[in-house]
Amino acid sequence: MAVIGKTSLKGIASGRSPAWMAGLVALVSLLVLPWGRTDRSLLEFDSKLLVLNQAPWLGGVLLAVVAVLTLSSLLHLPLVQRGYALVGLGGAGFLVGVGWLVSTSVPFGVGALLVLTALLVMVGIGLSESGIIQNDPFVTSSILVCSLFVLLFIAYPLFTVLRESVLVKGVFTLNKIQSVLTSPLFISIENPYTDHSEQLLVNLTTLGLGLLGAGLAARGGLRGPRVLTGLGVGLVLGWIIGAGIFGGGAFPTSLYLALIVAPITTALGLVFALLEQRSRAVWVRRSLGVVSLLPLITPPFVFAFALIYWLGRSGIITSDLLGLKTSFLFGINGVAIAQVFAFTPVAFLILRGSVQGLNPALEEASTTLRAHPWQTFRDITWPLLRPGLAAAFLLTIIESLADFGNPMLLGGDRNFLSTEVFLALTGRYDPNEAAVYGAVLLCLVLVIFGLQRLWLGNTSFVTVTGKPGAGNFSPLPVWLERTLQTILALWGLAVVLLYFSIFFGSFVQIWGINNSFTFKHYVDLTNLGLPVLLKTAQLAFISAIIATLVGFLIAYLVSRQQFWGRGLLEVGSMLSFATPGTVMGVAYILAFNTGPWLLTGTGIIIVLALVFRNMPAAVRGVISGLSQIDKSLEEASTLLRAPSSTTLRRVLIPLLIPQLLAGLVFAFVRGMTAISQIIFLISPGNALATVLMLRWIEQGDLGRGAAMATVMILGLLTVILILFAVSRRLGRGTSLEAAV
Amino acid sequence: MAMWKRNVRWWFFAALVLTMSTGLAQQRVVNVICSVTQNWCEALGPAFKQATGIDVRIVSVSTNEALARLRAEQANPTFDVWFGGTGDPHYEAFKDAITEWYRVKAYNDLSPTMKAAIGTTYIPLYQGILGFGINPKVLQDRGAPIPRCWKDLANPAYRGLIQVSNPNTSGTAYTLIATLVQIFGEEEAFNLMRSYHRNVAEYTRSGVAPRIALGRGEIGIGIQFMHDLVEFKKQGFPIEIVAPCEGTGYEIGGLSLVRGAKNKANGQAFMDWAVSPAGQQVGFRAGIFSLPSNTKTPLIEGIPNPKDFKLINYDAKKYGDPDLRTRLITRWTREVFPLPRR
Repeated sequence: MAVIGKTSLKGIASGRSPAWMAGLVALVSLLVLPWGRTDRSLLEFDSKLLVLNQAPWLGGVLLAVVAVLTLSSLLHLPLVQRGYALVGLGGAGFLVGVGWLVSTSVPFGVGALLVLTALLVMVGIGLSESGIIQNDPFVTSSILVCSLFVLLFIAYPLFTVLRESVLVKGVFTLNKIQSVLTSPLFISIENPYTDHSEQLLVNLTTLGLGLLGAGLAARGGLRGPRVLTGLGVGLVLGWIIGAGIFGGGAFPTSLYLALIVAPITTALGLVFALLEQRSRAVWVRRSLGVVSLLPLITPPFVFAFALIYWLGRSGIITSDLLGLKTSFLFGINGVAIAQVFAFTPVAFLILRGSVQGLNPALEEASTTLRAHPWQTFRDITWPLLRPGLAAAFLLTIIESLADFGNPMLLGGDRNFLSTEVFLALTGRYDPNEAAVYGAVLLCLVLVIFGLQRLWLGNTSFVTVTGKPGAGNFSPLPVWLERTLQTILALWGLAVVLLYFSIFFGSFVQIWGINNSFTFKHYVDLTNLGLPVLLKTAQLAFISAIIATLVGFLIAYLVSRQQFWGRGLLEVGSMLSFATPGTVMGVAYILAFNTGPWLLTGTGIIIVLALVFRNMPAAVRGVISGLSQIDKSLEEASTLLRAPSSTTLRRVLIPLLIPQLLAGLVFAFVRGMTAISQIIFLISPGNALATVLMLRWIEQGDLGRGAAMATVMILGLLTVILILFAVSRRLGRGTSLEAAV
Repeated sequence: MAMWKRNVRWWFFAALVLTMSTGLAQQRVVNVICSVTQNWCEALGPAFKQATGIDVRIVSVSTNEALARLRAEQANPTFDVWFGGTGDPHYEAFKDAITEWYRVKAYNDLSPTMKAAIGTTYIPLYQGILGFGINPKVLQDRGAPIPRCWKDLANPAYRGLIQVSNPNTSGTAYTLIATLVQIFGEEEAFNLMRSYHRNVAEYTRSGVAPRIALGRGEIGIGIQFMHDLVEFKKQGFPIEIVAPCEGTGYEIGGLSLVRGAKNKANGQAFMDWAVSPAGQQVGFRAGIFSLPSNTKTPLIEGIPNPKDFKLINYDAKKYGDPDLRTRLITRWTREVFPLPRR
């Protein structure tokens, strides 16, 4: 980092500007690196692609701008005036460069990328030095670069989805939306082949639950708005349940599924969270530690795959034990079971936070006042848990709606919104239809996020500041503890059986038909799957590093700096987390397939998709880590005249190493197990392990799929255990919550 | 300690650069999108590399998915060659200028009947014949007769026992629809599909998939190409193969050169090799039993031969037409698929 020599001459601050470094990068890039590309490869070096050959006037303008700015940055000049010049000229150069790319539709090259980023950095430095923005140069340019990334890789793709749903072959039309929304794939209720009327049944259910909701709401006193809310909620739930049971189509099916999965998952999560806090048995805590690890290391559809072994048409339980030949697993039932297994640990991790936030003193007070334990639970514990429960409930709904692998394997003939996005694009090749499904899914998820804010934003339930107060929780009543332990034991048994079946399946010839031992699948895996696994690990690793760095920067900016648009940056960076993976996948393929941002068919787009998918987790992890670091440390550093980049490097990063390490490992693990966002993006030489595994399973190479799953689970488990060991040596624990 | 720390940083960067740079810059390469079974796709690369020294990078996806990918990338294709999959999408790709016709070196040796059926739209790679795979034990347990004809499929005794693929994702399923329409006429064909729809346990994504459930005894009847069934039967699964009495349709598996391919010469070399006897025998070694297009390829036992079956006169040109194809699939999606089966 350059030392900024600031001298005061006649009251006017002048000096050199750190912008010269960015200027140098831009100069070199302009002269040596390719500005545009002819093809997908970013590493295409041909003198014809230099900006001076490709577009002489553009190259001349940019060279002049960059040269002037670099030179002026090296001289002792008044800061404010040069700041304005940096902003004006740099901004103009940036706009001209982007404008050229967009208007000519030439895919950007490495050079263009570096030049534009460098210009943006110079604008940032200028904004800061001229005093237009009251942050230091490093912070300002970071804000600009981060905003550019969020705009380009999150907002722009999502905007493309919305645009494609109303823009068919360049013409604005609502026909596509109409034809999709009226298609029987989207929603179908009446079935002409039955004697009864499904529509009537759905209407009855809707009305019934509506009245029930209104009645329940009116119980506490006849207040208009309350009753109306109850009626509305009841009607919506009634319609979803009615249409889910009696009708079909992706829309009701997905919602109905989410409504089944969310309460079960939340309840199980609560059971586990309460047990962890209050159980007297040691085995309970130990096994819960394992439980919380599972969702991280398991590729998303592995539970579904294992369920086929146990409950499928020739499954052990259904066929061998009960003698049934049933297809009950294939449809909503199976997907719901698989999702409960997959999402319960997630709900547990969320609820663990709010259960640990409870203050035992409140319950003690209640007990001292001779309240019955049940009364204590109902009047003290439950209201305090409600926000956590709501959060877990809504998050599970979102996860369920977004889930792709389980419906793909177990969906049978029901269709789901997330798989329909995929099938519309890959099967019927109708990008507009895929966009409509994507937009519907996106809207649903955003509505649910809105609900969460509305519901939880009103009341403050904060009872504890900092660490929980002293005191111990009274243990659970014996009968309750027994019941909860039984639930946990059953759940654990089921999980063990499911995992065991995958291990077993990877070592036998044909599972269930020829159970003789073989290493065949592992030999096949070594030949066919190993290169793919290594490639996947490589891409996941690169994406994890970038996600952690960008996530760290955004977290720092959002939680430690004040600037205009801070909220927007935070919401923008979180948007990709809320967006279902298939929608993001479609968005990327629609947005980056042609034109200046051509990236499809490369490994880079996979890396980017993973970066922006996993970055929000890193952001949250770092924000929570930062909240534990006293600001006075940074203030001390600032008072000693260190620029904020130095403070970041010398003060914050060393303190945040555990969080960063955890963020890195979790981003890597999530990258390895991702499927929905990257299934569209695979390309020659960029095959990915989860996609290959899904294809193997679909084509009947179950043993090979099981071997791949086994290797992945064991490998990722090792990675996580190493992380735990390392962070223990660093003397700080790692919280799993950051990974959810 | 400080030394170590400084070094760590450089090691880190070195490792980063290394991971980022591996896998780049391969010289002689051909990018193939592959729509036959995974085993076959996986066997192609090593064999071709051995024969020519050219690297093959393969992405295997089902036929319709492949067409979708190629269409999406039409302006700027990633792939050079499209290997395998039912012919209709290959025909459609040619019509839409996504692929171009290339006269392979062994063109004169290719089966005249296959060439006549498709003209100069794509290169015939193999012929596959639609049929029923049955699991006799499952049918026996249910007390259901062995189906002999398409119309038999509507028998309520088969409730929940049939699997067939979904035409929205599988070329096999579209071949089935086109076959039924050619045998019975469109209205009657759709009536038939509606009536056996109630017996279908599940529509699979991939055309090959029904044999899995069939072999495991989960269903009794799988409708798919016979050669995939032969392969499964040879692996030891208890299944039998039936050709429907009304006659049956077939596919002429396609091989196409992508228009605007980046590695055109390598792609052409790959195509020349793929229809040579040596290239076609790779399929046999991967356990494939479809009839190869090159008449000089020495056959192996078990390949379903068109001479032994009553084949319809499949009109590849008419039914490969994108508009008709879209219309039929849309009609199926709207009129057959959503009907409840409970």
